[in-house]
Amino acid sequence: MSDDVRRWSEELARDPGSRVFLQLGELLRRRGDLPTARRVALRGLERHAHDAEAHDLLARVYADLGEGERARDEWEMTLAILPTHQGALRGVAFLLFAEGRLDEAEEYLARAVAQPQADDATRAALARVREAAAAARESVGPLAATALTDGRYLFADILGDGEHTAVLLNAEGQVLAGEYVLQDGRDIAAAVAAELCGVSEEARRAMRHLGLGAWQAVVFETDVARMAMAPAPQECVTLVAAHRETAPGFVRRTLDRAADRAAAWLGGGR
Amino acid sequence: MRTTFRPVLTTLTRHRGVVGSMVVGESDGIIVEAALHVGVAGDVVAALAASLYRKARRSSSAAGFGAVGFLTLEAEHGRLCVIGRGGLVLVAVADRSANVGLLRADMVGALEALA
Repeated sequence: MSDDVRRWSEELARDPGSRVFLQLGELLRRRGDLPTARRVALRGLERHAHDAEAHDLLARVYADLGEGERARDEWEMTLAILPTHQGALRGVAFLLFAEGRLDEAEEYLARAVAQPQADDATRAALARVREAAAAARESVGPLAATALTDGRYLFADILGDGEHTAVLLNAEGQVLAGEYVLQDGRDIAAAVAAELCGVSEEARRAMRHLGLGAWQAVVFETDVARMAMAPAPQECVTLVAAHRETAPGFVRRTLDRAADRAAAWLGGGR
Repeated sequence: MRTTFRPVLTTLTRHRGVVGSMVVGESDGIIVEAALHVGVAGDVVAALAASLYRKARRSSSAAGFGAVGFLTLEAEHGRLCVIGRGGLVLVAVADRSANVGLLRADMVGALEALA
């Protein structure tokens, strides 16, 4: 047990009405101890039923657990208490985006950006959603016209905010489509692809011996990111990378959609 | 001989869909302790899970993403869940009915036992 967890747990034990459960629950959530984080949030809500931050905390825990419907309920409750809550507006927007409901996602993000406390990440998310919505409206068949001519934009309408990315690699670890652009503008897709393609080779090798059938995905967490890979036709691999704090269920869903897109682009079903 | 890892393995093996769990040396893929259902090829799973985790860890480090935490390999008929620390990896073998969220939470919680 870390010092912070111990200190906040003791404070909560001394004073069950303390709002320190918010820090404790968030720390547990970030560590991936979701059952305990949920318990802390629910207990906090017993004493702070009208606390917007408490509902927001529980929503984030549910989102991490892949329980989108419950997360949405909690975020809507947050917004009923505090209609300008940035986290809740962004949270609902991401859930809608993941369901492909781009126009509704745009409405929530526009509400968030209209507030003076909106940050650059929220503004970037709104720009990305508007871009994706426009691309979807102009789409020709399953792929946007731009994606057909420029592989860099193959996954543009699938991705969430600026901290998600998707890349399609061939068996040699070379980038076929997608991009991985850092905040400073550098595209590091090729470098990342070269390093990580070995993981998919290892998965393929393992499957030959384990008798579990064909591999469908490798998902792992690192200090800074969540990485997810899925096989694509012609021994290619679809790679999705997201910020470490992104909900794992959202990453997995994005991987499925990106892999379907890659399969269609390469001309074969998954 | 039973080691200090037994309680962790017992907890994991009680999860729905989990057919085996084990603690394995990351560098050599050799089982330290295991709790396996009949028919699970423990030695093969251990070697491959350790190899996959090692590859992910090295690749992640080389790509600048830092240390690897929880890893899952999903396949048509099951999945491997792996997490490591201090040269050991904790492995769970499960079928598709397993609740990965709960399994992950218990495996993350068990990390201290590996240190």
